[in-house]
Amino acid sequence: MSKTEYPEEILQSLEGYDIDINDFIPGHGKGAKMLLDFNSIKGIEEIEGVIIKGKEIADGIIADVIIKEGVVIEDPVHLCFGVKKQSGTQRIFPRIIAEDNSEVTIQAHCSFPNADGLVHKMFGHFYVGKNCKFTYNETHYHGEKSGALVAPVSYMYIGENSIFENTFNLTQGTPGQVKILLDIYAMENSVIRSNVKAFGKSMGDSIRIRDSVFLEGRNARSVIKMKAAAKDGGEVLMYGITEGNAPRCNGHVECNEIVLGKGSICRARPFIRAIDPTSTVSHEASLGRFPQKWLDEVQSKGLTEEEATQILIEAMLGEK
Amino acid sequence: MLLELKNVTIPTFDQKCLIVNDVSFGVKEKSIHAVIGPNGSGKSTLAYSIMGLSTYKISKGKIFFDGQDITDLNVTERAKLGITLAWQEPARIDGLSVLKYLSLGMRDKTNIKEQAIEALKTVNMKPEKYLDRFIDESLSGGERKRIELAATIAMRPRLIILDEPTAGLDLIVIEDFLNIFNKIRALDMTILLITHREDIGMIADYGTLLWGGDDILTDNFAEVMLRYCAKAGLKAYCKRTLFQGDNACFGEDYIDKIFQEEQSK
Repeated sequence: MSKTEYPEEILQSLEGYDIDINDFIPGHGKGAKMLLDFNSIKGIEEIEGVIIKGKEIADGIIADVIIKEGVVIEDPVHLCFGVKKQSGTQRIFPRIIAEDNSEVTIQAHCSFPNADGLVHKMFGHFYVGKNCKFTYNETHYHGEKSGALVAPVSYMYIGENSIFENTFNLTQGTPGQVKILLDIYAMENSVIRSNVKAFGKSMGDSIRIRDSVFLEGRNARSVIKMKAAAKDGGEVLMYGITEGNAPRCNGHVECNEIVLGKGSICRARPFIRAIDPTSTVSHEASLGRFPQKWLDEVQSKGLTEEEATQILIEAMLGEK
Repeated sequence: MLLELKNVTIPTFDQKCLIVNDVSFGVKEKSIHAVIGPNGSGKSTLAYSIMGLSTYKISKGKIFFDGQDITDLNVTERAKLGITLAWQEPARIDGLSVLKYLSLGMRDKTNIKEQAIEALKTVNMKPEKYLDRFIDESLSGGERKRIELAATIAMRPRLIILDEPTAGLDLIVIEDFLNIFNKIRALDMTILLITHREDIGMIADYGTLLWGGDDILTDNFAEVMLRYCAKAGLKAYCKRTLFQGDNACFGEDYIDKIFQEEQSK
C-alpha cells in the first residue's frame, strides 16, 4: 500500500497535532499500524511481537491489537481511524491486550476533516497485564463545521505494578457533539496518569467527558488532569471521578477550565469516594478566567488581554 | 527624567485608606534608581501602579514617561512604550516554554531563538538547558527569577522595574544578580529597583525612601540609605557594616548628625 492509496486529507489533519505523518503511511516508519478510511481497512502492518487483526462489519470495524509478553516496542503503534466522507456512521470495536512485562505506546488518531453529520462511536476494551508500561495517546480532529457526533466508551484494566498513561487531545478544529466515557480499573501498585484536553469553539460544540479511575488494588495511584476551554458559545462538561477502594491507594483529580465569550459554559464535576480508611483521594478545580496575575505578567510584555489569554490557552491545552 | 511621578496617591482597592500618599520623584535615564523602605511601606504597590496594573490605580497625581503623561494608559500600552516589570514571584505556567515566554515581548520577531539565547546568557543561564523547558514548578525559585529577568531583557525596554529581585534567593547568588543588573545597565536600560535589602540597593545610583506610604527623601543612594537607617534606629549596623571599607562615604560626625535629626522628630 502506498501513500497515494490513503486519503491525503486525513494525513494532513494529523499535522496540527505535531505528529510525523510519515509514520502513518504504510511502508514508511518503523511502527506497526492499522489504517481505516470510514469502515474499510486500508492497511495493516504488524511487527515482531505485535499482532494486529481487523474485521469489517456492518457500520464499523473490529480491531484487535496484542502486544506479546515481554515485548518492548520503541516506535508507537499507530491506529488511524479516519473518515474522509462527510456523513455516515462509523463504529469501532478495539480490543487491545498488552501481555505481562510489555512496553508499548499506542497512538490513535480519529480524523474526520469533512465531518458534517458524521457519527463515530467506539466501544473499546483494554487489558494491560502485570509489570507493563502502557501509553495510549488519542488525538481527534473533527473538521471545522462542528459536524461530528463522537461517542467513545472505553474500559481499561491495568494490572499489578503497571504504569498506564492516557492522553486524550481534542483541541484542533471544531469538536461538534462529543460524549466520552472512560473507566479505568487500577490493580495493586499500578500507576495511572490520565490527561484530557478539549476546546469547544462555537455554539455547535458540546463536549462531555467522564474520566473515571477505580483504585481497586493496594497502593494503586492515579492522577486525572482535565483541561478545557470554551469560547463563542461552546460548552464543556467534565466529570473527574476517582474511587479509593483499596488500602493505601492514592488518587487525585484536577480540573481547569477557561470560559471565553458570552454564552460559553464550562462545568466541572469532580466526584471522589474513599471506602478504605487508609486511602487518600483529593480533587481541585478552577473555572472561569485565568488568574489576573498571569494575565498581568504576560500583558507587561506588551500583549493585549486577548492576546495574553490566547497564549495561556495554547500553553494550557498544548502542555505535554 | 525618563520616569517622573508627581504627587501620586494610591488607595486600597476599597478606597478606604491610602497605601501610597502624595509621592513624587524622578528616575534618570540609564541609571539604577532604588526604592527602599520597610515592609508595608508601599514599594511594590508603587511598582505595580507604574506598570499600570488595573488593580493598582492611582487616585491622585500623574505619571510621566519620557515626558508623556501615561497616567491613563493600561499595562499593555505602557509595555509598548518600553516599560516592563520583573515580578517578585513570577507565575509558573504549565505548558509555556521558556523560548515562547522570552519571545512574547520581543519587538523584532525575526531570529527569536538567537535573541532568546542572548537573553539567557545575559542572566548567566545555559540556553541549551532551558530553552525547551516549561516555566512550571520544575524550575527552582532562582531559575524562575533569572528567566523573568531574561524575558524583560529580551523586550529591550527602556525601563525595567525589578520588584524585590533577590527575595528568596541564597546569599551565594546575590553577587551574581548584582552583576546581571550591571549588564542590564550596560545595555542602556534604566532600572527601577524595588528592594528592602540595603546590600542590593548599594548598586543603585539614586534612591527614594518610602516610609508608611510617604516619600521621605530622593537623593544619591548612600544619603537615602543613611536616612533609612536613621529612621529605623540602626546606628551600629550603619557604622560597622553598611558604610565601612569601600562604602565609607560618610564621616562618623555626619552619620551622628543624621541620626540626631531623626531622633528629634
